[in-house]
Amino acid sequence: MIMLALTLLAPLLAGLAIFALRRAAEALALFGAALGLLGAVGQMFAVVDGATPAVVVPFLPEMPLRLTASPLTAVLSLVVATVAIFVLTYAVGYMRHDPQKVRFFGTMLLFVTAMQGLVLSGDWITLLAAWEMIGFASYLLIGFWHDRPGVASSATRAFLYTRSADLGLYIGAFLLIGVAGTSEIAASLATTGTPALIAGLLLLVAAMGKSAQVPMQDWLQRAMAGPTPVSALLHSATLVAAGAILLIRAAPMLPTGALLVIGIVGGVTAVITGLIALAEKDLKRLLAASTSSQYGLMLVAVGAGAPVAALLHLIAHAAIKSSLFLGAGVFQHDRNGTDMKSLAGAGRARPGIFAGFAISALALAGIPPLAGFFSKDAVIAAALAAPGAVWLAPLALAGTVLTGAYMGRALRVLGTGDPGDLAIPVPFMAAGLGVLVALAAVLGLGFGPLERLLDAQMAEAGLLAPVLGLGAALSGLALGSLVAPARLLGPLSGLAQNGFTIFGGMDALVLRPALAIAAACERLERWLYAAVLRIGRINLSLGWIVRRADNEGIDGTIFGLVRQTIQTGTRARKLQSGFIHRELALTVIGMAVIVVVLLAAPLYS
Amino acid sequence: MTGSVWELFFLVFFGLAAIWFGIVVFRTHSMVRSALALLFSQTAIGAMFMVMQAEFLGVLQIMMMATEMSVMALFMVMFMMDPGGMGAMEMSHQKRLSLRAGGVGLLAALAVSWLADWGPAAASIPDASRQVELLGIELLGRSMFIFESAGLTILTSMIAATMVAIAPRKPGGGT
Amino acid sequence: MIVELSVTLSIGAGLFAVGLYGALSQTNLVMILMGVELILAAALVNLVAFWRYLHPDAMSGQMFVLIVMTVMAVEMAVGFGIAIARFRSRGSVEMEEARELKG
Repeated sequence: MIMLALTLLAPLLAGLAIFALRRAAEALALFGAALGLLGAVGQMFAVVDGATPAVVVPFLPEMPLRLTASPLTAVLSLVVATVAIFVLTYAVGYMRHDPQKVRFFGTMLLFVTAMQGLVLSGDWITLLAAWEMIGFASYLLIGFWHDRPGVASSATRAFLYTRSADLGLYIGAFLLIGVAGTSEIAASLATTGTPALIAGLLLLVAAMGKSAQVPMQDWLQRAMAGPTPVSALLHSATLVAAGAILLIRAAPMLPTGALLVIGIVGGVTAVITGLIALAEKDLKRLLAASTSSQYGLMLVAVGAGAPVAALLHLIAHAAIKSSLFLGAGVFQHDRNGTDMKSLAGAGRARPGIFAGFAISALALAGIPPLAGFFSKDAVIAAALAAPGAVWLAPLALAGTVLTGAYMGRALRVLGTGDPGDLAIPVPFMAAGLGVLVALAAVLGLGFGPLERLLDAQMAEAGLLAPVLGLGAALSGLALGSLVAPARLLGPLSGLAQNGFTIFGGMDALVLRPALAIAAACERLERWLYAAVLRIGRINLSLGWIVRRADNEGIDGTIFGLVRQTIQTGTRARKLQSGFIHRELALTVIGMAVIVVVLLAAPLYS
Repeated sequence: MTGSVWELFFLVFFGLAAIWFGIVVFRTHSMVRSALALLFSQTAIGAMFMVMQAEFLGVLQIMMMATEMSVMALFMVMFMMDPGGMGAMEMSHQKRLSLRAGGVGLLAALAVSWLADWGPAAASIPDASRQVELLGIELLGRSMFIFESAGLTILTSMIAATMVAIAPRKPGGGT
Repeated sequence: MIVELSVTLSIGAGLFAVGLYGALSQTNLVMILMGVELILAAALVNLVAFWRYLHPDAMSGQMFVLIVMTVMAVEMAVGFGIAIARFRSRGSVEMEEARELKG
């Protein structure tokens, strides 16, 4: 339990401390990440011993928040912590001259906290919350250099695309909670039948968004606008892994139909994004497309019914891709850019870094005895043994070929050309990179014990899968390094360069409608505000009218009465002339009237 | 009857004299003549009383009026701007209204006197001495209260008139 | 129809008219009093005529005449007292100048 708490709280408190203190950002970041790693290792030991540490926090009635460290989640947590600390080490050197270090390290640590929360979550609500948080952290980190042109819109796009796919997760999670009656993930995975199919497909939608599968792969390309450590941590090993992690955890529940769909989606993605990677002119974007492709292969494994194979590939890919990105970052620092033309020959100026890069590249392609070979082998074996093997196997193999191809191309570009000036040593960056490369190389040895820990039933280890895999990898590498991509792709080259956009792509389908709705809501709100003001003004005028009616009407009547009385009095005054003769005349007239009245009495009495 | 014809004649004669003298009162410019004209008018009225066989009243009227008019003549001379009437100033106002008022009153009274039915004439009249006797009895009998109060009223008014007429002793003078 | 009565009443009417004209049209207080004298005299004439031709036995007619004469005298006295007071304060008894009670 303490290890669980440490894993989560160490990065969180370190991040908050960085924001509060605004100094010693690197030291605090590394310290927090180190403690987090310690916690993850401790968890691993506990799980290996057979325990399942868990934390339950009361929340809604009948739906408390749970964090559990089962074998699966403990492994993932360890992966996240490891990649995090080494990428942060690298980032110390990468961000050395950046004035916004505090914001960077703080946000990175908050992301690490959220990611750990995601992988360790035991109930859907925690998972949803953590899902949202990593999306938000990604938005902040992609848009880190928001002064530069195009960066803010890339961040917005990434956020909007993944957000729209998250709807699948929400609906799916609520469906499962409703059917199972509880929010605990392990319990809700017992669902069967139609709800399981629908939930599975909805979770697939969410995974497609988060893991940049076709048709939502474009956001990952754009996410490369952020700093390279961000690309290394988020967009290779952790955030995009969330989609695959979701499917791996839900795998026990998924019915055959859903599995087939998942496998086909993954396979199609592997091929298409592989083609895009081959046609890319920017190294980081190439790596991004490669990430989509690899996750496509993981989905193929899940679809083939072997989630553990997907997990193995995920772990290997985490180490490999992050080290590839870190290497690209070093070259980016050297040449002030990542497009292929400026990077030509950059590898020759830094032999050590280039060697590490090359090892990871070969690992990705699937050359033994590097980690990638074993994981690719597992995926291809699963694809071959799957019920839908006729679909999945060719796609998986095509993906492998393309992997080799684009990696070969990258190696060739970096290795041939003008080395340029003498390279400045970069200790931190080299350290971070080096450890991850080493992990990429030796992780293959740990896969056996891992399978045993997870009680996995792996496919029969025949010879077909390794042979096919190796063959595909070698042919790919050869093609990539020797033949130019334009000739290789042929007629698909133009489409590939555009990222295979159909119907205007996600821009037209998601971004523009979303922004239009937002603008319409703004207009509605302004109209309502004006309407409320108008009502207020009408009320005010009513009040004025009433007041004026009171003033002029009532007061006017009363004062008019007063005026009339005074005027009548003034007119009556004229009778009082003071003259005796007038008075006498009036007296005589009055008496005459009285006499007439009295004498006429018989007439009216 | 001869008596009534003579009575009527004298009534008309003295009556017209009274009216004519009354008009003179207001038409003449001289104040003394005005007072004297009034005196003659009242005397003619007293004569009318005697014609109507109310001798006591007639004599009383003549005596009283004679005294009164003399006093009035004195007051005229005291208070008038132009006692002799030598000036030519117009001394009247709202003439039209007054003429109209007089005219209306005359017509109304004439209409009443000629158009009303006064009933039968009286049968006989007590002679003079008998009248006085009856008057005394009336005075000390039924009308005692009237005269007593009349006496008090006269006393009061005499005192009031005297007080009004006496000049105040205060140095500032007053009304 | 008693002719003498009607004739006397007509005389009384004429006296009343003249007196009324005088009372309303004169500017001097004394002249106004003279007009009032004439009015009262007309009333006396009417009274005596009614006594003589309608009720000669009832002495209350003559009584009334005595009362009226008394009233005439009293009124004269008070009127002249006021005239003296007025003359003393203003120097004249012209009613045209007596505007103090103007409202």
